[in-house]
Amino acid sequence: MSNNNHRRFENAVPIATFATWALIGIFGCGAGLGYVWCKNQLYVTGMEIKKLEVELAQTQRKNEVARVNIAKNSSTLKLKERVASGMTGLVAIPPNRPDRPDRLVIVSGTPEVPGSTGHNDLRPVSNQKLRE
Amino acid sequence: MNGGARNRAYLTCASLAVCFTVFSFRLSDVQVTKQDYYAELAGRQHIAKLKIYARRGMIEDVHGETLAEDEPVRTIIADATLIGEKDRAEVAALLSGPLGIPESEIIEKLGRQVYSQSAKRNLPAPYIVLKKETPESVFEEINQRIAERNAADEAARKAAPKGAKRPPQNSAVKWRGILSEQTAIRVYPNKDMLCHVIGYMDHTGAGVQGVEKTMDGSLHGTEGYRYIEHDRMGNEIVPYRGDESEAHDGNNVRLTIDMGLQNIVETEIERAVTEYRPVSATIILMNPKTGDILALANRPNYNLNIQAGVPEESRLNRAITDMVEPGSTFKIVATSAALSEKIVQPDTTIFCENGNFLAYKLHDHRAYGDLTVSEILVYSSNIGAAKLAIQLGDQRFYNYVRGFGFGERTGVNLPGEINGKIKVPHLWKKISISRIAMGQEVGVTPLQMATAMCAIANGGTLMMPQIIHEVVDSHGKSVTVYKPQEVRRVATPEAAAAVRAALIQVVGPKGTAPKAQVPGYKAAGKTGTAQKTDESGHYDHETYVVSFVGFLPAQDPAFVALVLLDEAHAEHGKNYGGQVAGPVFARIGEKAARYLGIEPTEPLPPPGRAANVNDNFRD
Repeated sequence: MSNNNHRRFENAVPIATFATWALIGIFGCGAGLGYVWCKNQLYVTGMEIKKLEVELAQTQRKNEVARVNIAKNSSTLKLKERVASGMTGLVAIPPNRPDRPDRLVIVSGTPEVPGSTGHNDLRPVSNQKLRE
Repeated sequence: MNGGARNRAYLTCASLAVCFTVFSFRLSDVQVTKQDYYAELAGRQHIAKLKIYARRGMIEDVHGETLAEDEPVRTIIADATLIGEKDRAEVAALLSGPLGIPESEIIEKLGRQVYSQSAKRNLPAPYIVLKKETPESVFEEINQRIAERNAADEAARKAAPKGAKRPPQNSAVKWRGILSEQTAIRVYPNKDMLCHVIGYMDHTGAGVQGVEKTMDGSLHGTEGYRYIEHDRMGNEIVPYRGDESEAHDGNNVRLTIDMGLQNIVETEIERAVTEYRPVSATIILMNPKTGDILALANRPNYNLNIQAGVPEESRLNRAITDMVEPGSTFKIVATSAALSEKIVQPDTTIFCENGNFLAYKLHDHRAYGDLTVSEILVYSSNIGAAKLAIQLGDQRFYNYVRGFGFGERTGVNLPGEINGKIKVPHLWKKISISRIAMGQEVGVTPLQMATAMCAIANGGTLMMPQIIHEVVDSHGKSVTVYKPQEVRRVATPEAAAAVRAALIQVVGPKGTAPKAQVPGYKAAGKTGTAQKTDESGHYDHETYVVSFVGFLPAQDPAFVALVLLDEAHAEHGKNYGGQVAGPVFARIGEKAARYLGIEPTEPLPPPGRAANVNDNFRD
């Protein structure tokens, strides 16, 4: 009886110790994996940052090129050339299509046209949307 | 243990100790003594210093219209060490179209070699410039083509059946041999307009003329850098970024120039050049109250975007680099000096020797008797002006000439300005004072003459001409504002007012420049017709420098305009300032007044009626 008990104690599994080491192992593995994951994220984020930086630089360059083209096309010299060639960019209203309302509409804030007779008067400002 | 075994053990231990000592020494030698050398050697393999490009600032007019700007471009480079001999044809075929270079030429360039000191033989060149100043769009097209080719290679590699010959995994290496460097070219949207003021840059990016030169310090940005580590494929390892310095873009320079007025001036100078075919021409528009230069044009001129083959004469900013005898426009100096010194009053009469001043060998173009001080200017009497200067005396007159800014640089922020020339009184001959009073024996720049007239127009204060209005940083924040600078008072307000009143009559029916009248406005000004000297130093009776310098409106001048034409080919007998330069002033004045929104004060002449013309225009 006593022998059995003695063997039982001799062969007892040190669960607490195993558990401790297992925990330490798991923690170690977790820390290691975490480190690897973090490191990987660092690289992934770095690559994303780089990609965004490249895109930003490309956009900035496109912006600069666009700005130069705007400067060229809105320069005094260009305007002079357009005026000389008759192409100012303004679209002439054809004589057969004046903006004539059916009846006089007084837009709030617009002074009444002196001498207006009422119906079918031309408004002082053309091409302005009418507000009933 | 016997003796032999012990000895062997000792020997082994000693050998090991020696080995470890040697290795330790070598280790400390590598790690400590030669640490810097090996660190640098290792660094060279995977550390690179990237240059961060900084934009040069813009040049703008007073309203913000762009006059000069950087356009980003690329220099396409090949690294032949990464492009094998068998890949050259493929690389050349890809690049030929976008770059517009024949394939054979690219293949020839890719085959270039350089001698390697370490390898003691020729190796493929690592830096071959394929094309400079390539637009961004071309660079993007090349990248697109490379990406498509890589994708096709990858797809072919995956699709290849087992056992079949697959494209190598590192087929992308050759494309890594195509690189680019970001640079910029300077673009001038207005081409030849205002070319002498804006200036240009040399191949190193430094300004060599105009505002590009004088404001180079502000315009020039500071390039940044970043140390990076890269993998063996050349890709940056972002987490290992090293020391970094931010790039700072250059500041923008805003000029006092108004492109609306500049356009008027350019149109009129072109018209005058077409009509009179002068050797050179200059027109300056200034604000007399601030000294701001509103417009400036010279002929000949050149296109700022095309520098090759431009003759040196065309590059000269004649407004500040050319010295001319001003002629009668200079009479404002003697008159305002005599009035300021209260030697005379505006209505004081001066006997003009009936056109022949024998003592000074001086003539007028008409036989004038008594003329008031005002009439001396109106009729442009040489003898009258000479007598006013003689009454002042050599030294006092000289002091006034210098006071008006002649003989010294105006200080305008443009390169190459000359002093002009005025001799000191003790070097004058007896007749010198009479000649200087009428604008001979003195050399002035057109800008000096315009600045002097500004002093008369603003009530007697000499202002420093300004071409820079403001310097703003790349975010639009003001860095420096150039405020108007008074140089000195050169005439009393009363004297300036009297001269102004006389100058109004100059453009009237009795004066020398009725054609300078501006319909609807009261203008004022002075004509000048200076004979040029020939090679022997004598005055030539065939070649003239004709000018007109005036202001508008006379009551409260908004601008002073100088028109100067050197050797104008006018109709015989009409090569005078009032006849040639006066009408140019009138046209500029009319357009500029309308542009600036100046309300007309005078009745408009009936349509079709020409200005009164008299026979007194010979000046």
